Amino acid sequence: MDPAARREAILAKKEKLAELKRTRALRQQELQNSRQASGEHADLIQPTPNRAARQRDIDDILTSVLGESRSSSVGPRETASPRGGSRSRPGSVVSSRPFSDDRLVSTPRLSSGSDEPQSQAGASVQSESTYVASGTQTLSVAPLHTVYEDPGDAAPAPEIVTYSKAVQTVDDWEPQRRHNEPDSDDEDWLGDGRSPRRRRQKDRLEQIRQELRKEIEEEVKSAVKPADEAAADAKQLERFPARTLSTDELEAVSGSRDFQDFIDQSTKVIERALDEQYDLLIDYTQGKGDLDEDDEGYGAGRVKKGRRVKEVAQYWDERWSKKRMISDLGFSPKYPELLLAAYTKNPSAPHDPSGLLQIWNAHMPSRPEYTFHASSDILTAKFSPFHPSIIVGGCYSGQVLLWDTRSKSTAPVQKTPLTGAGHTHPIYSLDIVGTQNANNIISCSTDGVVCSWSIDMLAQPQEYLELLAPSPSKTEDIAPLCIAFPQADPTYFLAGTEEGTVYACHRYERAGAKAGVDARVRYTGHAAPVMSLDFHPARGPVDLGDLVLSASMDWSVKLWRVRPPAALGTAVTGGNSVQGPVMEFPREDLVFDAKWSPVRPGVFAAVDGAGTLEVWDVNVDIEVPVASVKPSERAGGSAAWLKRSLNRCAWERNEGKKIAVGGLDGVVTVFEVGSELGGTETSKVEEWTQVKKVIGRAEAQIGARAAVNGRSGL
Amino acid sequence: MGDSGRAEMLAQVTRLGQKPGVQSTLLLARESGAIISTSGLVSKSSEVNPDSILPASQDDPAEGYANGLTKGGLHNAEDVARLVLNFVETASTLAGGIDAEEEVKLLRVRTKKNELVIVPSAKYILVAIHDTPPA
Repeated sequence: MDPAARREAILAKKEKLAELKRTRALRQQELQNSRQASGEHADLIQPTPNRAARQRDIDDILTSVLGESRSSSVGPRETASPRGGSRSRPGSVVSSRPFSDDRLVSTPRLSSGSDEPQSQAGASVQSESTYVASGTQTLSVAPLHTVYEDPGDAAPAPEIVTYSKAVQTVDDWEPQRRHNEPDSDDEDWLGDGRSPRRRRQKDRLEQIRQELRKEIEEEVKSAVKPADEAAADAKQLERFPARTLSTDELEAVSGSRDFQDFIDQSTKVIERALDEQYDLLIDYTQGKGDLDEDDEGYGAGRVKKGRRVKEVAQYWDERWSKKRMISDLGFSPKYPELLLAAYTKNPSAPHDPSGLLQIWNAHMPSRPEYTFHASSDILTAKFSPFHPSIIVGGCYSGQVLLWDTRSKSTAPVQKTPLTGAGHTHPIYSLDIVGTQNANNIISCSTDGVVCSWSIDMLAQPQEYLELLAPSPSKTEDIAPLCIAFPQADPTYFLAGTEEGTVYACHRYERAGAKAGVDARVRYTGHAAPVMSLDFHPARGPVDLGDLVLSASMDWSVKLWRVRPPAALGTAVTGGNSVQGPVMEFPREDLVFDAKWSPVRPGVFAAVDGAGTLEVWDVNVDIEVPVASVKPSERAGGSAAWLKRSLNRCAWERNEGKKIAVGGLDGVVTVFEVGSELGGTETSKVEEWTQVKKVIGRAEAQIGARAAVNGRSGL
Repeated sequence: MGDSGRAEMLAQVTRLGQKPGVQSTLLLARESGAIISTSGLVSKSSEVNPDSILPASQDDPAEGYANGLTKGGLHNAEDVARLVLNFVETASTLAGGIDAEEEVKLLRVRTKKNELVIVPSAKYILVAIHDTPPA
């Protein structure tokens, strides 16, 4: 057929159609108006349109559709013509035939025709098959199946969808169609048979399409994903190799300094975290009742709450504490949670360093915060009161050692030489005296030598003093086991000796007295070695700084009143005054250590060979201790009672609430005392004056007794 | 340095791992993410260096809080390592975002059953997972 002629025909038809549309629009408007005027009437009119008009409408639609689709798809068709152009023609030809009553045939055409521009290859086939059908003029719709199934693999387009799609761009199609639908009775009779099927097919197509989409998506995904995953895997491998290091690498890593420092620090941090007793997340509303309120503690019932002494911690290191005895204890003045413990050697481990120093942290009971070693047993050690990181210690070898907690090594950072210039005998006692800017280490060895050292220079003593017994004694030698300085005067000290006498000593010459043992006064009363001496800390409203406690192997603790050196110089001249104790506290065992409480004037603690810690308060009772406790037995420790002996005790100096004790079994035990025995908040001025009174009364009694004795002696 | 030498080096970590209540420890190199040592964790990798596995604590369930993760419920070392590294990274970003000079020193993650204590440093990370009272 001649395309030009056809186009002309179509154009003519279009014009006609336009006219029709206009009239229909008019009519519709009329209809609308009339409906608005009388609703019921409109209802009647609507379903019964005039048949001829209806038919014309339908035809109009057909032509318009075909014409429209054709004209609108001229471009694609032309481009597609080399492939399927000739074959697609018949479809259009059939559909664009002059109006016929055979709507059945033309309707399928409609579909196939509109299909064509979209899917050339598939649609051309289908249109051919329908052409045949239309040729025979049967009502068979069987081939229609293929119409809708075939295009599945191409871009499938269900009839209705494409239909509207193809026309949607044209403005005037929509209203027409909408208008048509209600009165398309005629079409329905054949549409009835088809529309369900159509719907079914449509559904099916939809389904297929979705499946396809899914497949494609999956394909795309699988195409993209491997790359992604591979990248991610690579990244993971790079970042987190699931490998462990080879032995060589391990050696290299674990040998590095950084690593050691890290391990040291991090394990400490973690252990502190683990040892933290308090559960931050505790919920008191859960009230489990396991928060034991055993405030009564030891000797419950008998002891008042404020006077209880409760064990709070025990420190023991499996590796280092074993078979060592504790020779000294001391709390850090700067960090009250740090506790220093000095140990003697472990006789069964000759290859371990003999001397051991462990610094325990109250927040980390399971292991020492620092460990230091020495080549000889450490007999005494203490934190420097003037520098928080410095520790000084005295050895069995006669060396004075100095450790620094900032140092990475466990060895002392400084030590005195083993020469005649310093000590050649064991140092059982040392102290650091002076002020922040001018302080000295004073050490005392058992041969009676007292040396003064500068912390900066331990090569040589700054002062060297030999203590010699004054004339009445049979021998000149004295063996001091302990020295003690009063708070007020760093030039004067007491020395407790093995034979039981306590001597007053001067570091320097002063008016009427030479340096060394003061011949004018000695304090006798102990019949066995004096193990410790302690001046009253006297930080209160009443000066009690002249009170001294001594602990001795003669099973007693004695309280002395020391005459100040100035008073000695004037009051007594030349005479040998023998001073007795002010008070005696007889015990049932060797007493190794006795220490004043740093905060309560009348309170002191004493430890004995039976392994008992006793806390006394002279204001309460001078006959029996206020509290008496024994450290709990360490699990797995040896039960030999000999081992239970306690060597040393030490108060925490800032608050005076904690007492550390340690002894032959090497276990450090920390006790906490109740509010009446420690702590600053409940301290009262009356306590101080009362202590003064108690001492005065005791002195008066002694004086009276002495007078009586003197008279009877005459 | 023999086996004992290295064991000595890691003695503190070993000790830590054997403390009651400690389920597992993990020592990582921060840069490479390599596992330097573990205890109480299983590894899915077959070529694990046995030297890197430290003995774990023999918990007495009656004594401690046996919150899961007893035999059979062990975590995978690699998984934990990865999670920890990620977490430390995130935490570092946080700290660095607040102050460029800042540095993460300690991370404690308390969960319902356990607590993870993580100590990161520039080069290494030490992790301990331990039981806590149920909260």
